[in-house]
Amino acid sequence: MSSSVVSSLHQELKQSFEVLRANRAVWERALADCEPLLSAIGNIAVQLQALRHVQLANTPLHSFPGLHERLHYKLSLAVDSALGKLAENMDALQRARDAIGRQVSAVFQFYERNTHTLDIAACVSRSAVCPSVSDMLEWLQDSERHYRLQLVQRRTLLQTLTPSDLVLMETAPGRWASLHTSAGEERVTDALCQVSFFMETE
Amino acid sequence: MSESTTPGKKGNLTGSARKLKDNAADWHNLILKWERLNDEGSTIATKIVNLGLNKKSNMESDVLMEGGSLAAGDHSKNLKQSNQELEEECVKLQDVVDKMANILSKMEKMVSDERGICELEAFQYGEKGRAEPLFHTWPTHQFAEVSSKLYESYKQELALKKTILQELAHTSNADLSMVYLSSWLYQPYIDDSGKLLLESLLLETGHRPL
Repeated sequence: MSSSVVSSLHQELKQSFEVLRANRAVWERALADCEPLLSAIGNIAVQLQALRHVQLANTPLHSFPGLHERLHYKLSLAVDSALGKLAENMDALQRARDAIGRQVSAVFQFYERNTHTLDIAACVSRSAVCPSVSDMLEWLQDSERHYRLQLVQRRTLLQTLTPSDLVLMETAPGRWASLHTSAGEERVTDALCQVSFFMETE
Repeated sequence: MSESTTPGKKGNLTGSARKLKDNAADWHNLILKWERLNDEGSTIATKIVNLGLNKKSNMESDVLMEGGSLAAGDHSKNLKQSNQELEEECVKLQDVVDKMANILSKMEKMVSDERGICELEAFQYGEKGRAEPLFHTWPTHQFAEVSSKLYESYKQELALKKTILQELAHTSNADLSMVYLSSWLYQPYIDDSGKLLLESLLLETGHRPL
């Protein structure tokens, strides 16, 4: 009885790690695509800042009609387009996180439905090739939390960006980079390494 | 050139329609070329600004190190080298601006050609123009108007670029340098309506499928 439950739980866990591995790749690609956009935003903010500081009337550019407004408009357009592309990438991140979240909550539901047949010994027993059920559930939960937090933090950062606050925009690339937690990423990598034999077993 | 005796190079368009269609293609190609030159120039302009900033910081450190004659000699050698580099880049940028001026003169010629076509039509069909449009819907004078609008924006842009070229290496104000660079890159006088005009021109003349 218990052994069949354990084996179907193992199947669920395998599938979860499969989903985690696939969506981690999606996540990393989308995140890599964000970086140049963030640095573009930082760059444009510097340009807008410079435009704000310069009195065009006192420069050789004084004879060009509406230059300040036109340049400001073009720069704002460039910010908008970068933010638009970032929003698309955020959607990709969101989808990756959702896929991971769905799968992890499915495996937890399965576990909770079957707690009466799964005794402690079955949950904590492990072998050379197969980590214990409790460890694997923990790794999945940690990974899911990592992506959930990352998404919230990154989204919050982007939501604070407005063309009126140039300092926020200028510092955005640095703040974006500082959200990267190698500890969180490593935990996911470690988890995937630790289940690599388990994934290959039938 | 009378309309009936000029066989089209491509297809069977002749006379005014042939000329207008060719001009539309030329607009497209010239603008593409302009964009390429703009990117090229932007890279050069950025280099010029960076060299200028380096020079300035070198000069400042020269003042600080006045005591050490050896170091100062080293600096003047550096300075000479960076001046030479600066000059080379300025020549390159001048070259880009010259090429852009060349493109603009081709644009100007198209505008005057199309005005000529309008005049020809007024002569042939009277003030009202031809009864049937040459392509889909545009009356002939609309081609001349579109060309002239596009030409005006590029003309203003070239004037701006010429000013930037003259001033870029001589400004010590970092903010102003930045404004020069972004004005060069973002081309404030070429707006989205220009893109729309070009696309509608290409659509009207059949370069873009309806």
